[in-house]
Amino acid sequence: MSLTLVIGNKNYSSWSLRPWIAMTAAGIPFEEKLIPFETPEFRREAGPAAKVPLLIDGPIRVWESLAILEYLAERFPGAKLWPADIAARAHARAIASEMHAGFTALRGHLPVNFARKVMKRPLTPPVAADVARIEAMWGECHARYGGPFLFGTSFGAADAMYAPVVSRLLTYDVDVSPATRATMDAVTALPAWRQWRDAGVAEPWVYAEDEVDWPQVHRA
Amino acid sequence: MSLTLVIGNKNYSSWSMRPWIAMKANDIPFKEVLIPLYLPGSKEEILKHSPAGKVPILIDGDQQVWESLSILEYLAERFPDAKLWPSDARARSHARSISSEMHAGFMALRTHCTMNLWLPPKPRPATHTPEVMENLARIETIWSDCRKRYGGPFLFGKTFGNADAMYAPVVARFRNYGLPVTAETRAYMDAVMALPAWREWYDAGMKETWIMRHNEPDWPLVRGKPVE
Repeated sequence: MSLTLVIGNKNYSSWSLRPWIAMTAAGIPFEEKLIPFETPEFRREAGPAAKVPLLIDGPIRVWESLAILEYLAERFPGAKLWPADIAARAHARAIASEMHAGFTALRGHLPVNFARKVMKRPLTPPVAADVARIEAMWGECHARYGGPFLFGTSFGAADAMYAPVVSRLLTYDVDVSPATRATMDAVTALPAWRQWRDAGVAEPWVYAEDEVDWPQVHRA
Repeated sequence: MSLTLVIGNKNYSSWSMRPWIAMKANDIPFKEVLIPLYLPGSKEEILKHSPAGKVPILIDGDQQVWESLSILEYLAERFPDAKLWPSDARARSHARSISSEMHAGFMALRTHCTMNLWLPPKPRPATHTPEVMENLARIETIWSDCRKRYGGPFLFGKTFGNADAMYAPVVARFRNYGLPVTAETRAYMDAVMALPAWREWYDAGMKETWIMRHNEPDWPLVRGKPVE
């Protein structure tokens, strides 16, 4: 009954944040194993696909953030990581998949970097299009399910998939609608969010490829 | 109880192929709506069905599901007897891991070896970049590991399921771009290509006439012949 979640650096690893925040917010106990990127240990420990996150449950190893969330939803049905209604669940999975495979312009231009000083970064047209799509998607979820999270009152797998986007929008001071800001505020008010962020900000590792101001490294 | 699947061109649309072949191979009845991609009006036509503006889209009454992987999840719930995911929890988590790995990964293979069923199969060394070869090695490991563990001929045993559907376009890529695959990989490809569902999709793709220049690596040759 003891789970281990292998993750990368908290400051930079957007994929690791997803299952970590889902589990922490839902009160699912687990042991955390943090392996900094670019170390021999990383290559050795990071699972069959050599990527984090990796969930270890006895003999079972689950990789890919989305597959881990599916596994957790089955293993802990009481956590209600997916909505109970089949139509809402299909909707949640569609936007979770859309995030999993998409928004590459946004992800490339605005890398997750909790420790960076909040400063505006101008958006390219493809990044602006990604932001517009995300705002439309979140707005539709709120209108349909009532908020404050995407599918109602509890933070679930779809919210977890988009948690790194909240960080990106904040760090690069992206102009968003008040409705989008309200979604971001609901996520950043979670104790799980603050716990991850504080740990990330305290980390010593700096990676040039994720520092958009390089060779400058701006810290708050 | 009537499903509609909105897809793109069969010759080129790898994402559309996934739910289509999963449904056909498992006798899940549906109506097909094909929207040829990248023509004037294509985008508007797709947006009528889904706000994400991408194919495939599954329509089930007033429910719209987009993204190939979430459509497969939806079908697995809706048609439990089709056993689209393995019934064992451990095997199921394995199937979901490799499906997600496909869904979000293997960018080099997808970029250099875009799906193109009518492309005459032969090695195209210019597309066999080191990154593509790394993708090939990882996929061969995934497939052989599954077939050893679950007995084949498909990834999780005797029936063609969601994980197979996610990798079906890869079978086409390996074939048309002549990637140097092992005999073991070839055996899996043969099992997939022997499915009546595969042949039905393939035959329909071969009859299409829409040409996408950016997906034709031998341009100005198309289907091995100069275009008019």
